[in-house]
Amino acid sequence: MNYIPHTEEHISEMLAAIGCQTVDELVPRQVPRAARLDLGKPMSEMEMVSYIQSLAAKNTQTKCFAGGGSYDHYIPSAIGHIVLRGEFLTSYTPYQAEASQGVLQALYEYQSYICLLTGMDVSNASLYDGASALAEAVFLAHSYTKRRGVFVDEGLNPAYLRVLRTYCEGADIFISDVINDDVACVIQQTPAFDGSIKDPTHMAEKAHRNGSLLISCISDPTSLAIIRPPGEAGADIVTGEGQSFGIPRSFGGPCLGFMAVRSALTKKLPGRIVGATQDKSGRRGFVLTLQAREQFIRRERATSNITTNQTLLALSATIYLALLGRTGLRSVARTSYRRAHRLQQMLCTRGFRTMTPGPFYNEFLVETPRPAADILERLQQHGILGGITVDDHRLLICCTEKNTMPNIKTYARNASVQ
Amino acid sequence: MTAQDKAAPGKLIFDYDQANTGHIHTDEDGIKDRFPERECLPLPDVSEMQVIRHYTELSRKNYGIDTDIYPLGSCTMKYNPRVNEDMARLPGFAGMHPCAPPSHVQGALEVMWELQEALKEITGMDAFSLQPAAGSQGELLGVMIAKRYFADMGERRTRIIIPDSAHGTNPATAATCRFQTVTVRSDERGNMDLDGFRQAIGDDVAVVMITNPNTLGFYEEHLQEITDLSRKHGTLLYCDGANMNAMLGISKPAEQGFDMMHLNLHKTFSTPHGGGGPGGGALGVRSFLEEYLPVPRVVKHDSGSTFDLDHNYEKSIGKVHSFYGNFGIMLRALAYIKSWGSDIVNVSEAALLNANYLLGLIRESYDVPYDRRCAHEFVVSARRFGKRSALNMAKRMIDYGFHPPTVYFPLIVKEALMIEPTETESKETLDRLAGALAAIASEMDQNPNMLDGAPHTTATGRLDEVMAARRLDLRWKPPEE
Repeated sequence: MNYIPHTEEHISEMLAAIGCQTVDELVPRQVPRAARLDLGKPMSEMEMVSYIQSLAAKNTQTKCFAGGGSYDHYIPSAIGHIVLRGEFLTSYTPYQAEASQGVLQALYEYQSYICLLTGMDVSNASLYDGASALAEAVFLAHSYTKRRGVFVDEGLNPAYLRVLRTYCEGADIFISDVINDDVACVIQQTPAFDGSIKDPTHMAEKAHRNGSLLISCISDPTSLAIIRPPGEAGADIVTGEGQSFGIPRSFGGPCLGFMAVRSALTKKLPGRIVGATQDKSGRRGFVLTLQAREQFIRRERATSNITTNQTLLALSATIYLALLGRTGLRSVARTSYRRAHRLQQMLCTRGFRTMTPGPFYNEFLVETPRPAADILERLQQHGILGGITVDDHRLLICCTEKNTMPNIKTYARNASVQ
Repeated sequence: MTAQDKAAPGKLIFDYDQANTGHIHTDEDGIKDRFPERECLPLPDVSEMQVIRHYTELSRKNYGIDTDIYPLGSCTMKYNPRVNEDMARLPGFAGMHPCAPPSHVQGALEVMWELQEALKEITGMDAFSLQPAAGSQGELLGVMIAKRYFADMGERRTRIIIPDSAHGTNPATAATCRFQTVTVRSDERGNMDLDGFRQAIGDDVAVVMITNPNTLGFYEEHLQEITDLSRKHGTLLYCDGANMNAMLGISKPAEQGFDMMHLNLHKTFSTPHGGGGPGGGALGVRSFLEEYLPVPRVVKHDSGSTFDLDHNYEKSIGKVHSFYGNFGIMLRALAYIKSWGSDIVNVSEAALLNANYLLGLIRESYDVPYDRRCAHEFVVSARRFGKRSALNMAKRMIDYGFHPPTVYFPLIVKEALMIEPTETESKETLDRLAGALAAIASEMDQNPNMLDGAPHTTATGRLDEVMAARRLDLRWKPPEE
C-alpha cells in the first residue's frame, strides 16, 4: 500500500520551497495537537483483504425471499464492468460540463428512463434512497402549496414512515389524520408495503379536490413494467427506491432514491437536474441546469440541502435498463409476479392465510399457522431467508426472477413442516 | 457496424431503437383483469454490445482522478484504491439483505462497529451514526438533533450562526429545520470575525456551524474564543468535517471544542466520488447527545464477540435512511483506514505539504487574498484578469488536460479559484499543474479573447448554460406515432 508518491528527497525540496523545516509548522499554534492515533498497525493490501474477507465470511448467504424495500433481482455482469471504468468511478459532480459529458449524458438518459417508467414529465438526477426521497417530496409539496400537513395512506413502508416523521419534526411539518385544508400532500405507496397494487386514480381525485398533491411512492420499480404508471393515474410526484435496477442489496445501502414530477413542479425539484443544450457550433451537449434551485447558489433559500447524490447508482440503473430493455424488464416483472403468486398459492394450501387484500405484485403478507420466527428458523436450516417478520404471526414474503421453482417448492414444503 | 451504430455527439441509447414505440400486446398472465395494466413501455431493446460500446464511448468523454490531477477544491479528489472496490463487491457483503437476522450479518455489523470505533478515535467524538448518506444529510441530522435537544431542555432557540465562507449546505440545512441563519463575515486573516461573532451570539442561538479548516483553506484561529462564548450561551458547536483531510492525526475536532460533526467518508476516506455519489456522511457527537442518534444502532454484546442492531432508544431522533446508511461506502472507508492504521497522519501531512507547495508555485500568477499558510487547500483569485476570468481559466484548463478547480467559491473571494491537490499527487504533477496555471495566466494577459472560446479540444465546445435553463430539454421523448 503506497498511496502517497513522495520520496524523502521530494519532501525536503518541497519543505525548502515553502520555507519550513517540518510540516507541523504549517499548522497554527492555536490548533490543539492530537496524540498519536491508536488505529493499529498499517495493513498491507494482502493483510487488509484477508481481514475484510474474514468479516465477509461471518455473514451467511441465503436464498432470499425478503423484500420490504430491498430486492434480490438479478444484476447483469456488464453493469459492473462499465461503472468500474475510472472515468466514471473517479469523477465527481459534473460542474465542468465539457470535461463531464459522459456522466451528464448518462444522467440525461437516466432522467428519461425514470420519466418513461413513471409516466411523469421531469425527473431529477437521483436522491439518496427511497425513504429520504419521499421526505424530500413532502418538502416539495409543502413549498408548492404552503401547507404544513401530510396525509399518509395505509400501506407505507414503516421504515419510510419513520424517516418521514423524523424529517417532518425537523421541518415543523405534521402528519395529519384527515385530508383537509392544511394538507399539502397525500402519500400512497404502490405496490404497498404488503405488496398490494393500488390504483392511484381515486386518491389523486381526492387529493386534487382538496388542493393537495398526490405523491406515489414505489419500492420495487420493476413493477412499472406491467402496472399502469402513476403518472397516467394522476400522481403529481412519484418517488421511490431504484435499488432493483442493477444495484446490489449491500446490507441496505447505498440505494438509489428517485423523484419525478409534473412539469409545473420542475423548479421546485430538489437536487441535480441535467439538461441538453448546444455549443456555439450547434453541437449537442449536456449540462447541470436550473442550478438556481440549489444550495451552492441559493443557500438558505434552496429547494433542498442535498449536494452529493447517488450518481454512480443512477448510472448503474441506466445501464441495467439499457441492457434489459422493454423485453427484459417485462420478463423480470412477469416472472417475479408469477413466482410470487405461485408461492402464495402453495402456502395458502398449507395453512397460511393471505393478508394482502386484492391484487399484488411480487410481495405478499401472510398470517402464519405457527410463530413466524419458527418458520424462518426452519427455512434458515435450508439456506433460505424466508421473509421479513411484521409481527409474531405475520410474514412479508417476496419473490423475484431469481427465486427458482425448485427453491419455491423447498420453501413451501419446509414452511409447512411442524 | 451499421451507420446507426456510429456514435454521433449526444446520441442517446434511445436512438438505437426508434422503430418500436413499446406497445404491449400480450397478456399471458391475465394481468389486465386484476389491475390497471401498462399498455406501453417505450424502452429501447438493444444488444449488450451496443450498450457496452455506448457507455464506453460516454466514459471517454469524462474526466476522472484516474485521468490526471482533479484539483476540485473542497471535494478531496484523492486516489481511490481499487482493492476497496473488490472488498465492497465481495458476495458476502454485496449480497446481504438488510433485514436478514443479526446472526446472519455478524460480519456486516462488525464492519459498522469497527468503523465507528475508528471514527471516534480520529475525531475524539464519543459516538457515531453511520446512517447519513452524504455530508449534507449528516448536517441535517445534526441540526435536527440540536433542535430536539433544545426542545427537551424547554428552550426555544431560533438562530444558527454560520460564517460567510461556509458551504451553501450549511444555511440550506439550517433553513430546512426552520432556523434563521445569521451570517458572520470573515476577518482580514480569513478567520470568523470575532467582533461580528460577539454581536451575533446570544441565548437564542442554537448552533454555530463551522467548517475547520474553513473553505478558504485556513484553520480557524479563534476557535477557543468562539467555543468559550458559545458555552456561555449554551450554544452547540457543529463542525462541518468536509475538510477533515487536513486534520487526520493532527487535531481532533472534539478537542477543539466541537459538540458534533459530520465526516464525508467519500472525501477523507477515499471512497470513489462516482460522478456525484454515493457518499457517506457519518455523524459524530459528544456523549450528552448520544441518546438522540438515529436507530437502529449497532451494539456489541457483553460477551464481546457478537453484535446486534438495537432499536430501543427512547430519545432517538428516529431514522434518516431506509436501512442503516450507505454500507458499501462504510466498507470501503474501513478498508482505507485499516490500510493506513495509525500512520494515517501521513495523509494529512502530505495534503498540507502539497497544498502549500502548489500555492508557492502559483502565487506570482494569481492574487492571493489572504497572506498566510494554508491547510490542505487554498483559494486564489483571477480578478486581475477581469470579469469571467475564473470561468475562462477553468475552461482553458481542460485544454491543458486538467480538471479545473472549484470556481466562484467561496463567494467572498472575487473570481475565486479553490484548489485542493490532495496528498496522492506527486511533486512532478504539482509542477506540471503549476506550469499550466502560469501559462493560462499569461494567456489571459496576452490573448483574453482566445479564452472566451475555451475549451477548444473537447468533443463539444463551451456549452450554453443559459440556453439549457431557458429552453428546458430534460429528457428524451418517444417519437410521435
